[in-house]
Amino acid sequence: MVTFTLNGRQVEAEEGSTILEVAETYNVKIPTLCNHKALEPAGLCRLCTVEVYDGRRTRFVTSCNYPVWGGMEVKTDSEDVIRHRKMIVELLLARCPNNEFVKGLAAEFGIEATRFKLEEDDCVLCGLCVRMCAERMGVSAISMTGRGTDIRVETPFQIKSDACQVCGACESVCPTGRIDVREIAKYEPRPLLSDWEVGLQERGAAYMPFPQAVPLAAVIDGEACAHVRTGNCGVCREFCEAGAIDLDMKEEIIEVEVGSIILATGYDLMDPSPMKQYGYGVYPNVFTSLEFERLSNATGPTGGVILIRDENGELTVPPKSVAILHCIGSRDVNHHEYCSRVCCMYALKYGHLIKEKVGHETKVYNFYIDLRCFGKGYEEFYRRLQEEGITFIRGKAAEITDQAITPEEEGKLVVIGEDTLLGKRLRVPVDAVILCMAMEARSDALDVGRIFGVSQGADGFFLEEHPKLGPLNTATDGVFIAGACQGPKDIPDAVSQASGAAAKSLALATLGKVLVPSTISWIDPNICAGCQTCIGLCPYTAIEFDARRGVSVVNEALCKGCGSCAGFCPSGAAQVRHFNQKQIFAELDGVMDAISAVGI
Amino acid sequence: MSKLQSQKDYEDFRDQVKKERDPERLLVSICAGSGCGAYGTEEVREALEQEVSKNGLKQKVEVKVTGCHGFCEQGPIMVIHPQGIFYPKVKPADIPEIVAETIVKGEVIKGKLYKDPVSKKRIQKEEDIPFYKGQHRIVFGNNGMIDPAKIDDYIAVDGYSALVKVLFSMSPEEVISAIKESGLRGRGAGGFPTGIKWETCRKAHGDIRYVMCNADEGDPGAYMDRSLLEGNPQSVLEGMIIGAYAIGSHDGFIYVRNEYPLAVKNIGIAIKQAEEYGLLGKNILGSGFDFTVKISRGGGAFICGESTALMRSLEGQVGRPRAKYVHTVDKGYRDSPSTLNNVETWANVPVIINKGAEWYASLGTERSKGTKVFSLVGKVRNTGLVEVPMGASLRTIIFDIGGGIPKKRKFKAVQTGGPSGGCIPEDLLDLPVDYQRLAEVGSIMGSGGMIVMDQDTCMVDVARYFLDFLQEESCGQCVPCREGIKRLLEILTDICAGNGKEGDIELLEELAGTVSKLSLCALGGTAPNPVLSTIRYFRKEYEAHIYDKKCPSGVCKELFYYEIDEKKCNGCHVCFLRCPQEAISGEKKKPHTIDQEKCIKCSICYESCKVDAVAIK
Repeated sequence: MVTFTLNGRQVEAEEGSTILEVAETYNVKIPTLCNHKALEPAGLCRLCTVEVYDGRRTRFVTSCNYPVWGGMEVKTDSEDVIRHRKMIVELLLARCPNNEFVKGLAAEFGIEATRFKLEEDDCVLCGLCVRMCAERMGVSAISMTGRGTDIRVETPFQIKSDACQVCGACESVCPTGRIDVREIAKYEPRPLLSDWEVGLQERGAAYMPFPQAVPLAAVIDGEACAHVRTGNCGVCREFCEAGAIDLDMKEEIIEVEVGSIILATGYDLMDPSPMKQYGYGVYPNVFTSLEFERLSNATGPTGGVILIRDENGELTVPPKSVAILHCIGSRDVNHHEYCSRVCCMYALKYGHLIKEKVGHETKVYNFYIDLRCFGKGYEEFYRRLQEEGITFIRGKAAEITDQAITPEEEGKLVVIGEDTLLGKRLRVPVDAVILCMAMEARSDALDVGRIFGVSQGADGFFLEEHPKLGPLNTATDGVFIAGACQGPKDIPDAVSQASGAAAKSLALATLGKVLVPSTISWIDPNICAGCQTCIGLCPYTAIEFDARRGVSVVNEALCKGCGSCAGFCPSGAAQVRHFNQKQIFAELDGVMDAISAVGI
Repeated sequence: MSKLQSQKDYEDFRDQVKKERDPERLLVSICAGSGCGAYGTEEVREALEQEVSKNGLKQKVEVKVTGCHGFCEQGPIMVIHPQGIFYPKVKPADIPEIVAETIVKGEVIKGKLYKDPVSKKRIQKEEDIPFYKGQHRIVFGNNGMIDPAKIDDYIAVDGYSALVKVLFSMSPEEVISAIKESGLRGRGAGGFPTGIKWETCRKAHGDIRYVMCNADEGDPGAYMDRSLLEGNPQSVLEGMIIGAYAIGSHDGFIYVRNEYPLAVKNIGIAIKQAEEYGLLGKNILGSGFDFTVKISRGGGAFICGESTALMRSLEGQVGRPRAKYVHTVDKGYRDSPSTLNNVETWANVPVIINKGAEWYASLGTERSKGTKVFSLVGKVRNTGLVEVPMGASLRTIIFDIGGGIPKKRKFKAVQTGGPSGGCIPEDLLDLPVDYQRLAEVGSIMGSGGMIVMDQDTCMVDVARYFLDFLQEESCGQCVPCREGIKRLLEILTDICAGNGKEGDIELLEELAGTVSKLSLCALGGTAPNPVLSTIRYFRKEYEAHIYDKKCPSGVCKELFYYEIDEKKCNGCHVCFLRCPQEAISGEKKKPHTIDQEKCIKCSICYESCKVDAVAIK
């Protein structure tokens, strides 16, 4: 430890630390520009200059890299220091008079105008980008080239760099916004899109999954993280004050023994891209229902303000008219025959939200086949919306186009459809279109079903044991289903079903034991030839192969006694208990005896 | 030649070399330094050798092509020993006469002797010429006796005896204390005490230590390091070996700019020869001490003369300085303790060891010891390299040795220390030149550049010129240096173009203060010197430019015009004939006039008027 004077106050510091570090711990503010927590101090901007008196003379040193020593006297805000710092800022302002960051810096120092001739530059040459690329990314795709006033940040030979890993670290540390990774990298940068915001917003490689995530902790996207990919970077560690970042973490498989399992794997929203007639992905202002949900959500990319895309693709413009297209992919023989059950009601909600948030003059058109407002209070809500002035057009929209044929349609999206009640073709120009996409079974439902012994219905959703008597059960005992993985349903239904499934699990747990039917299969190990045919046949995955003995074995807890194995077993080793040949023949004998006794 | 393996081997060999040299033998020494070389030494040498063999004198006469003699103004220089006859400005056509008269007959050709411009007398011997008389040449003195490509020549003047003394009779600590006692300070620019530097480096933590020679001489007009490396490379090498022994280093580098091809060549030869002789490499002279030297050629950036930038350049990185809060003697090249001294400093080391620290400390002033080589250039009669004891006055150097200002012009200022030095006015001419005094008057010693300026030099323009150089040579990393110098230059350019405004001088001073105090390295730290010193001593000139829109020296073209004084003009018609623009009219023997519309202010009329009738207005 060394002791020295900081602005007239005795302070203690670790040997080897810099004045800036010590000042920070003592809450003494020193302005910096080219300093960055994650980088070695370079002392280039000289803004952090302080005065050091060593007993003989006063010197001006940069606090970011000047190591402290015992007995020195440091002044961080003497008149001279402030005067020199102001000159530095004035020089920077003359270099970049139109840059917002530099203007802000000048304002902080009370500088309104510079006495030097104005230039037009955006780069203060702090070198943060170059040092970040070299020190932390280990790439050095850019460097300071040239000398004197010709110095600038460039790629070698001013050729777009193929060494650049397009990580954007340079951009992220640039204070003035001068650095654009597109000017550096040979390859087009691909933004990381937030899954939670359905691609409406970008995110970093380290991010909060969603606002109410449990646990509320950041995660790192291993496919995007420069550290995971190259072993460099690791800058986040410098910033996490809690020291919570462990970049050496590996994924692990945890085996948990449980008595029952509830499948609540949810659904996928149908991808509208293949339905070319609706122009999703072509017209920027055609949204899916989930995208619109994020747009109207208070934690969404627009903070709950309903905005649509401007000509640059940014969400900035409030819509003047919106069309909501029901049953896209549902109730459609070309896609899904079933009704997705929730679209009608959320479409009504959207209409209400648009009116409320954007303004009552905003026009909302619903293109529907039928409005299925079947729940408690739903019909009343529908009626209310009709009163709010939302237009309902009975007839599914056929197409969306931007080809205007009247002046009103210029610059708008035109929904082409038919009002079947009036028997009239319609062209409705709107600013934005919301597609109420079908809910469909998850793309990996087949694999999940196989693992848990749960089969799928024709629509792809998981099949319950019995639609009326066993809606929560599956073919496998102890495996229950809840929510939209079983079929499209709204939140109240999903909650009810989940509660039921939970109760079923609890019932098993409370009992502490499982009742199995007595009429189950049994494979006689003395006869079994180990052909394993039965294993493929068993619908309950109840038969396993015992490789040591070379025979198939029935898991008694899983077997339902259906007899598939017994019926097919070539050697007759598989049998259903209580229904073996001897018993059946004895039964037959008894029946025959009775018949003869009666004398038929 | 087999390697010398002991002290005795060396002494025997040295005595043998000396014995072979007959002091009475005819020796013609021709200077092949940069100055003389440019004037045509090669042609003179060829003519001389032809003439010598034509006359069958090959056995009798030795022709030696040596390094710089220092008096570059008078090149090519020829000195004929043993008489020491000095012939300046020798042309190939002079050779037959010189051979016939001086070499064969031993007679002096009076008409070819040096004529002193002050006393107008012909002088026969080198040492009697005022230029040499006022000097004390302990580092440069041997140049005239040595063919840089021959190590034997160096050994013949007791070269490497200092190394022998050090290796066999002194401990490293003793060497360091000798250097400390001598008071030797870095001759590069910083003036840091060399002994202390060595001692710190020796004590610094680290297994490997490096010794380096800074031969990246970048100051415009300064060429003493170049001349030393070209003329007497072995002395630099010997100094480095002694330094390495004292510090405990086994690896050395010479960082020399590639723009000095002859220096690169000669130091390369010197290293090879020293290795062949066992004076460099493994087990030097059987002492068990190992030291090797490599040459690293720089691209010629001025900033690479700065120690940290030089070391980065050596490492293969871009030559840009870093903050020196951790010194290079602790962490330099490859983060190991490194000692960097410039060429002249190293060349001083053998002298100190041979003659003793006490003798060396007796030269110079209280805190600046020994001698310093200056390159005396500009508006002075005798340009060349001048070695004088520290503390010699500017007047001695410029007027006694330099012969004063030519063409009857008046002395105005002398700029010392290269581009970042300051300008010293006439009333400070009696200033003894040492590190302190120069700093006190706002200049620096630098590496010893000395540019003399006469009345026709505009001081604002001088400041502008040097800042233009510094702007290009700044590495550009730190804000005060890059942006500050640019703005200083911008303001000065405006002033020179007649666009100066009130407050410019104050702004220059304010900005210069920030640049000098806040810059990362010494380049920025000293860059404002030309501005500040010219404002300090020549403020009136600045004011004339800004307020009167006049350049009193007639340099800034926008701010003056030429006019012919009717009373003085005798109508000689010279200006009329020489004017490239045909701007001058007038009949012979009648006063002439200048058409201001046509005049481009080329100054030809001003220079050529014999009666000073052309005046700057």
